[in-house]
Amino acid sequence: MREYIVKANKLKKVYFSASQKIIALKEIDIEIKKGEFVTIMGASGAGKTTFLNLIGCLDRPTSGKLDILGSNPTKFNEEKLSRIRIEKIGFVFEDFFLISFLNALENVQLPLIFARNYKNNNRPRDLLKRVGLDHRLTHFPNELSGGELQRVAVARALANNPEILLADEPTGNLDTKNAQELFSLFRNLNREEGLTIIVATHNIRLGYSADRVIHLNDGKMEKDERLVK
Amino acid sequence: MKFFILAYKNLKRRKSRSFLTIGGVAVAVAVLVALLGFNAGYQEALTSDVDKMGYQVIVTAKGCPYEAATMILSGEAGLRFMDEDIYNQITSDPDIDKITPLLAQLAYDPEKQGGKGGFINYLGIEKSYIELKPNVKFKSGGWFSAENANEAILGYEAAESEQKSVGDKISIPDKDITLIIVGIFERTATQEDGAVFLPLKTTQRVFDIEGKLTGIGIKLKQIEKISEFEERLYPIASIQVISMSQVKGTILNLVNSAKILIMSVAFIAIFVAIIGVINTILMSVFERTQEIGIMKAIGASRSDIFKLIWMETLIICTLGGIFGSVIAIFGGNLTELLVRKVMPYAPGGRLLLITPDLLVYSFLGVIIIGIISGLYPAFKAASMRPIEVIRSGE
Repeated sequence: MREYIVKANKLKKVYFSASQKIIALKEIDIEIKKGEFVTIMGASGAGKTTFLNLIGCLDRPTSGKLDILGSNPTKFNEEKLSRIRIEKIGFVFEDFFLISFLNALENVQLPLIFARNYKNNNRPRDLLKRVGLDHRLTHFPNELSGGELQRVAVARALANNPEILLADEPTGNLDTKNAQELFSLFRNLNREEGLTIIVATHNIRLGYSADRVIHLNDGKMEKDERLVK
Repeated sequence: MKFFILAYKNLKRRKSRSFLTIGGVAVAVAVLVALLGFNAGYQEALTSDVDKMGYQVIVTAKGCPYEAATMILSGEAGLRFMDEDIYNQITSDPDIDKITPLLAQLAYDPEKQGGKGGFINYLGIEKSYIELKPNVKFKSGGWFSAENANEAILGYEAAESEQKSVGDKISIPDKDITLIIVGIFERTATQEDGAVFLPLKTTQRVFDIEGKLTGIGIKLKQIEKISEFEERLYPIASIQVISMSQVKGTILNLVNSAKILIMSVAFIAIFVAIIGVINTILMSVFERTQEIGIMKAIGASRSDIFKLIWMETLIICTLGGIFGSVIAIFGGNLTELLVRKVMPYAPGGRLLLITPDLLVYSFLGVIIIGIISGLYPAFKAASMRPIEVIRSGE
């Protein structure tokens, strides 16, 4: 069994925008083990999102070595990257990003369609029950509260039984109570199912409820704290 | 839920736009099906019309313009007369199977069509006429009592429109004569359904053209002998020989030139429909930039997105195809009415022949159009990069 889920070595990402060269990540080394609950903290522009996008196979690094679940996505084409995303990785975004014309249940079914997984009929329903939304199955996104939207998004991220759950500022649009509830949901998923969870967040209090906090600053790793609980 | 449902749900979201696009495709399909159906139907109706005439060859007076053949077909009189002697002269030709003399006359009847006025077509015939035309049968009554009798047989429609039956009397406008109806023909689905038939001798007498004919209908023992037959008639200076295949050709030529014009209209309609489909799908792709990005972020591949957008196009075109075919089938009568008004010569029977084959081909055509017009929007959508889309949403 693989010990490491993510292994980054001198990982670097450079963007070019409007003749400007932005170095988002400056050769960082990070290893994340299976079953860890990690938060990535840092100010805006510290490189949190870039890091999540790279390990989420949404983007490719400029240089350095990256090992995700034993494979090297640096060399994958787009089709293969999307294969990894659909099978191994679940994503949760700050803006929820639910599909507006599909109801809660259909939004959770969506990843199953893309994975051609038509057999697992009950899973979306079970997942929505797991996140406490079994009474909202047929509600459309515009009929749900922020906290509910984010929980649908979590259920969607879990649809294909991923090995990693990535969340980019998932509480950015939530009030304190809902933010707290979301983190305890993460905590439960991590404890009960051994799911590896990596969350980028600004929220110091919530950030420190994880097992490990990685601080990024200006594209570099500043601190890597393992919290003993 | 599968891809198809996903595509369908998205189209449903923009109901009016989707319906308008489907409408555009439907109109294009309807035009195409109607035109192709007309093309097939007209040729068939014309062929059956000509075949039902029973003659393979018509002999008319020389100088009777070529188009006059069309007039004869449509039941109107040839423009010139020939002597009855010619009939006696050629009737013994060895290649002739059956032969019948014809004398067509027109008279204007101000009472016709409920006072609007119109021409009545009188056709002087002899008994051989019926022998030449196997599909002419009596609905009621029978043949004239004598060669010179003041009697008439009505075509099916002539009897219907005048509300006449056997035993009733009719008169000829401006002629001091009353005819007794002795028979009514069954429907033949040719122009002659509207004609009034008189004995040849009576026609000559009433219209004061003794010893004259307008045409001679001939059926040869072997149609292959037609050119030899024509050659033998060549020395008779005052006549010309017109074969029915020639007549068919002339009419089809006229129709073809009209057809090209109509076809180009159809192609414009189809072209506009394609642009409409591309525009609708492309618009919805641009509006959904973020949505497509999300789908890709959660794992949809390029080919998934391509498939999704393509399927939307196909749904539009398939529905358009179905509606268009329905419109073509049920709107066919209207088209036929219009065509009859416009065409130089419209044969009897149905002009619009919409066969299952035609529908299948038009349908396949529209699916191909869907596939083609979906390509670009689908490609455009599939090429979107999730990372940029998500970032722009922040």
